[in-house]
This record gives sequence, C-alpha cells and structure tokens, in this order.
Amino acid sequence: MKRGTRPSGAQTLQWVSERGIFFFTAALVAFAALFIDNFVSIVNITDVFHRAAPIGIVAVGMTFVVISGNYLDLSVVAQVATAAVVLIAVSNSAGLGLAVLAALAIALLYGVVNGVAVGYLRANAVIVTLSTTFVGLGILRWLSGGSIFFGPPDGPIRALGQVKVVGLPLSALVLVVMTAALAFLLGRTNFGFLIRSFGSNRTATRLAGVDTSRVVVGAFLITSLSAMVAGFVLAAFSNTAVSTMAQGFDFGALAAIIIGGTSVFGGKGSVLRTLLGVIFVSVLTNILVLSKIGFGWQQMAIGALIVLAVSVDTLARKAARR
Amino acid sequence: MTADQTTPEAPGPVVIEAESIVKRFGGATAVDDVSIAVRSGEIHGLVGENGAGKSTLMRILAGILTPDQGEVRVDGRPLTGGTRAALDAGIALVHQELSLVPELTTAENIMLGAFPTRLGFTNARQLRGVAATALREIGVSVDLDERVGRLSVALRQFVEIARAVARKPRVLILDEPTATLTPAETDYLLTMLQRLAEGGLAIIYISHRIPEIFRICDRVTVLRDGQLIGTTPIRATTPAALVDQMVGREYKLDLQIRRESTPGEVVLAARGVRAHRVHGVDLDVRAGEIVGLGGLVGAGRTELVRAMIGADIRTAGRVTVTAHGRTRSISSYQSAVRNGVAYVPEERRTDGLALTMSVAENIALPNRRRLATGGVLRRSRVSAFAQRLADSVGLRPPDIRKDAGDYSGGNQQKIVIAKWLGRNPKVIVLDEPTRGVDVGAKAEIHRLIRELADQGTAVLVVSSDLPELLELSDVIHVIRDGRIAGTLSGPEADERSVMSLAAGGGMVGKA
Repeated sequence: MKRGTRPSGAQTLQWVSERGIFFFTAALVAFAALFIDNFVSIVNITDVFHRAAPIGIVAVGMTFVVISGNYLDLSVVAQVATAAVVLIAVSNSAGLGLAVLAALAIALLYGVVNGVAVGYLRANAVIVTLSTTFVGLGILRWLSGGSIFFGPPDGPIRALGQVKVVGLPLSALVLVVMTAALAFLLGRTNFGFLIRSFGSNRTATRLAGVDTSRVVVGAFLITSLSAMVAGFVLAAFSNTAVSTMAQGFDFGALAAIIIGGTSVFGGKGSVLRTLLGVIFVSVLTNILVLSKIGFGWQQMAIGALIVLAVSVDTLARKAARR
Repeated sequence: MTADQTTPEAPGPVVIEAESIVKRFGGATAVDDVSIAVRSGEIHGLVGENGAGKSTLMRILAGILTPDQGEVRVDGRPLTGGTRAALDAGIALVHQELSLVPELTTAENIMLGAFPTRLGFTNARQLRGVAATALREIGVSVDLDERVGRLSVALRQFVEIARAVARKPRVLILDEPTATLTPAETDYLLTMLQRLAEGGLAIIYISHRIPEIFRICDRVTVLRDGQLIGTTPIRATTPAALVDQMVGREYKLDLQIRRESTPGEVVLAARGVRAHRVHGVDLDVRAGEIVGLGGLVGAGRTELVRAMIGADIRTAGRVTVTAHGRTRSISSYQSAVRNGVAYVPEERRTDGLALTMSVAENIALPNRRRLATGGVLRRSRVSAFAQRLADSVGLRPPDIRKDAGDYSGGNQQKIVIAKWLGRNPKVIVLDEPTRGVDVGAKAEIHRLIRELADQGTAVLVVSSDLPELLELSDVIHVIRDGRIAGTLSGPEADERSVMSLAAGGGMVGKA
C-alpha cells in the first residue's frame, strides 16, 4: 500500500494488524538481548525452546481450525496428554512401534469426532471440543488411574529427548519442520486454500461447489495430528507422562495464534505468524521469569496481550469495512 | 393523470401529511419531492414497482429515516425526534420483514418496548391484559403464552399487527402484509383493516396486489422511481390504468436489442419442483436460450432457482442437466456444479465472494482442481488464469492481487461471473445480476450474459428490473406465489403484461 500522506488511525490499525507481529517480535528479542541479563546464553535459549516447542507445535496445527473460522480446539489439552501417556505406557508394555500406532489412531479419532460434530452437524466448536476434552480426560484418568508413567532411563524415548541439533533440542527442530510443512499445506495446496476460503466466507465457498463439511474435518484432523506430535515431544523431554501435563495448552496455543495476528473471525492468518506469536509469548515469559516477576503477573500480561490483539483485529476489520 | 389530493373522499380530517419529501442515499434519490396526506378513517393505498420508494417514504413517516428535505406533520404539527416521537404521535409501522422475537411469548412480543412495570418489575398481569385487549380488537385468537417462534407465519403477521394496535395508534402503516398469507388469511386481514378504519384509524396500505387495493382502499397513491405520479380516488381509476401509472414509460420491446437466438436441446429441465415457497414448477432451459423469471419480491423466484440447483432443500420434483448427450439428475448442489451448473447468487457480498481474499483466489476457487498438480496450487498458473478471466469480463482496475472487497458492486459481480466462466458452464443461473450496479457495468454484464448464451450456455435469469428482464430474455416466466403464473415471449412480453401477471390482476387488456 502506497501512501503519500500521514497514515490515518485506521491505516495504523491495519498496519499493526497485518505487519505488527514481525516488528514486535524482533523488537522484543532485541530488547531482551540488550537489557536482560542471562537472556543470551546457551542454557537460557535452550530452555526457552524446550518450553516453547510443545505448545508451539499445538499452536501451528490449531491455526487451521482458527483460520477456518471455528474459533479453537479446546480438546488439545486431552489430546496432548493422551498422546504422551500412550507413548510411554504402551511402549513400556508393547514396544515403541505399537505405542506410536495407538497414539495415531487416537489422534485420528479425536480429529474425526470433533470435525464431524462441527462440520457435518454444525455444532459450535467451543462446546464440542469442551465436551471431548472432558470425555477424553475422563477416559485417560480412568485408564491411567491418575498415575505418572516413567520411561526406562535407557529407552529410545529418553534418547530422543536428549538429542541436540546444532546445539538446540530436537523439539525445536520438530517445531520448525512442522511450521514449514503446515505453512506449505496452508499456503500452497488446494486443501489449505479451501481452509482459508471457508474461513473467509463459508457460504461463498459452499456455493463454489466445495464439500465444506470435509474441509472442517480436515482442519480438526491437522490440529489433532499436531497435538499428537506435541504429546510425543513433551513425553520425550521429561521421559514421563501424566494426564494433567498439558493443562493450559488450549489457551496457550490460542494466545500465540491471536497474538501472531491470525484473525479469530477466520480467513486471515498464517502458520508463520503463529510461530512468531509463540516466540513472542515465550520470550516475554522468559523476560518476566528472568526479571523475577511472579507467575500471576505473567498470566495477566498474556491475558492483556490477547485482549489487545483481538481489539486490534476487530477495529482493523471495522475500519476496513468502511 | 394529475395529482388529486383535495378530493374529500374519506370522511375524517387529515391526520398525517408529508410535504415535498426528498431522501437521497449516496448519489441515488430514493424519494423525490413526494407529498401525501391521509385522513382519519381512510385506507390509503400506496403502490409502485420494486424500488419505487414506497418503503423509504413509510420509514420517513415512522421516524426511522430523516428526510433531506420536506416535512412530516401530524395534526398540523411538524414531527421531529425520530422513532420515539413518531410512536408518541401515534404512528405505527408494521414492517415488511417480521420483527418479532421468536423466543418470547405472544403477550411479551405484543408489549415489547412498552412493558408495564411496577417498582421496576414487569407487571405480568397488566402485560397479558393489554395484549389480550389488542388481540381482541383485531379479532384474532392466539395463545398469549405460546412462544412466537412456534406460531405460523400468518399468526405472526397478526401478532405484529396486534403489537401496533396495542399502542393505540392514530396512523397504521402496513408494508405488504399479505405477501406471506394464504387467500383466506388475506381475506380476514382485509376485513379487519376495514373495521379498524371504520373506528377512525388512518391506514396506509402498501401492496403489489392490485385486487386488494381495489377491495379496501378509498384512495391510492402511485410512486415511480421515487416520484409521485398521482393520488386518485379508487372509484376514479381502473386496474389497467393503475398498472400503466406504475410502469410509466410505454416500454415496448426493442427488437434491435434482442438477440437472434436459435435455441438448441433442452439442457436444464425441472419437473414438479416443490420447496419452501415453491409449489410445483416445470421449467426448461435450452442451450443458447435466455429464460427470464419475473415476478414480485417474495414470489418465490430465488427459492425456485435455489431448489432447482440443490442450493436449498427440494421437497419434491426432479431436475436434470443434459450435456454431451448424457442426462444427469441434480441431487445436490455439488452434483449440480460437477455437471456444469454455475450460480451467481442474489447476495454477492455475503454469498458470492470471499471479500477478504484476492480476486485471483476468488476466481481460482471453483477452478482449483485444474490449477493444481497433485493438490499443490501453481501460483503462476493461478495468476495467468485469473488475469485472463478478469480481463475477459472487463474488471477495472484489472488488479487480481487486490482483495475482492476493495472493488465496487459492479466489479464484484464481474468477479463472480469470471470465476464461473473458467468452468465453461453448461447452465448459468443468475439472480438479480445487476442489482446495485452502475449503468456502465450493467451493460457489460448484459453483454457477458448474451455472449454466454451465444456460445450455447443455457441461461436462467431472475430479475426484478423489468426493462432488464425484457431486454435479456427470450422467454419470460412470471412467478406468483411459488407457481408459474404465465409465460410470455416475443411481442406479447412488455412491462404491463409482466406486471399484471405478477400482481395477480389477471391479463390486462392492451391499450
């Protein structure tokens, strides 16, 4: 957009909404590097990535559901924990291969149940995924008896959790690869095109002859598969798994997506933005931790940021509509 | 015919009068220097084609819109201060679209906005009492505690009128109240209005249905293109004269404009189609033929075409598309699109385009399969394809990277047409293809529609724009109450014949 004159309030809003996250993330990282002691250190950067990776993997996948205009998938809390518990518990008794297959089957089931309820039955995504969270966590607690599962200290899961690539944990590499793959899927393929088109205008997409219900199922399947990968990464990191381990992943992922600038109204957004949102939230949290600011304040800061991001998105939309 | 507002047709004094009202929306003048006066005890008819300015004028009388020029007076006193002041002055408007809350009861809806309260709490007994009185006054029996969402459309219409009557109005304005009613219900409503008028109420009655106007009105005012054509005592006019006044220009089909068409085989065939508001329609569209669907808003034209192509549920009937010698049945919208049907919907902004996506992406949507290799979209192929189509429909500016929402109405319609052109459709259905489009873009869209027909596409057009319908169509079916009321072609199709079929006045003898 070329402008000769001073930008109006509406144009500023649109700039923040469209480009803001790139600028703010760079500024935040630069600020931390310059002014926060111990930020630039191998130990700290590794720690930031360790914490960011599982939730980031969930977030890049859930971006599909948000862009499709279906708000979010709350059941990732149950899905991540289930994948982690199944990976460790089943591989302890039946081997790693079977554990991965079992987790994959469960992920597909979650994606299909959520997707069919929202896509074919037209149920509200928040209600549907809230229900599947409860059912899923209930089953997990019943089967696991609420106990913590430990992998053998010399097992393959433990080994994967310790692998480092160019000094960074394997989980960080998984996050980068997932982001690249999903960015390609969303931005370059027919499937991703239909997700964006459906999110922008579901009626127009249906009237173009598209089977839109199938598109919704696809969005939930992508989220479920990402949640499974996140569960594996989380289990490998600590070599333990418990049903409560993914608490807060739902809103953590949504925060990264929204702060990244993907619209909660659907249609607008990208996987790369979500990655930036993840980095922004993680670095901000890290800064607050390093500055010895309590957990309560961290939560408040993230909450305020979400409100800010949603307001900018809403106002920019209203301004554009004029 | 000249304006005649002084004839003392109705008994009472003038209650409400509007003088020299002008209302503009953007560049368009919706109401242009219109004056009207209605007396106590009078039923005053207001007629005109779609878009003549009737509803706008009534919204001004009810205080919903403020006129740019002119004045509304009640009992000689100027009316200012919006809806509240109009309500206080005793003006009640029964809207064209029902404005009831389906989750609330009959009594609550009737009293909505005027709940009787005691110490800040709703006085339930008084609420039901006043509502019951209003219903008794219009002579309708409805369960006061039934949720309105469970009532029939007709009963809801009567509840709406009861709501107006409960406010003890002096002027009652009804905007096409019988559009959704059966003949028996209509009969009841008209009798009720006559009784209310005898009690001294001034009633303004908007309707497209000429027989109703002649049955109950004392005087009738005709609007055309926002201008006042005249006010006449009903005894001094005839249905034929009224239709002539509404249509105005003696529009004769210009045979120069019409295409030389040599229709081929039947491509789109519908038999016994029934759906919501559609009561059994048979329809054929041949290759290279443009079939027009005329009729009033609410006659069921949009419902008919949507049911035909599977965009909405069809309760009965069979629709087929024949191409390359193969006849396929249309069972769903997706099967329609697969078999070569293209649909340009009435609401292009909400149904036709993804406004936050680029022109290229909108054009690519129905063509995505041929633009992709192994499911991966080829960007260069998409932009070359979209650019070619954008150029062929004359998109201006032809920038396919811009969002569809950044374009004007006419250009947006061109984008909708462009995305279907890419599929070489066998059948194209266009619903109000040029509504809200400027004159230049309108001519271009007409040219595109003719070109499609010339290339052998079967074209079905719904239009409320009579000159457009007459100019484009080889055959016109006029729809009324969900059925084909008549079929016109060649020289017998003119504005008057279409309008009288549409309004149910029967065929009006040619002048």
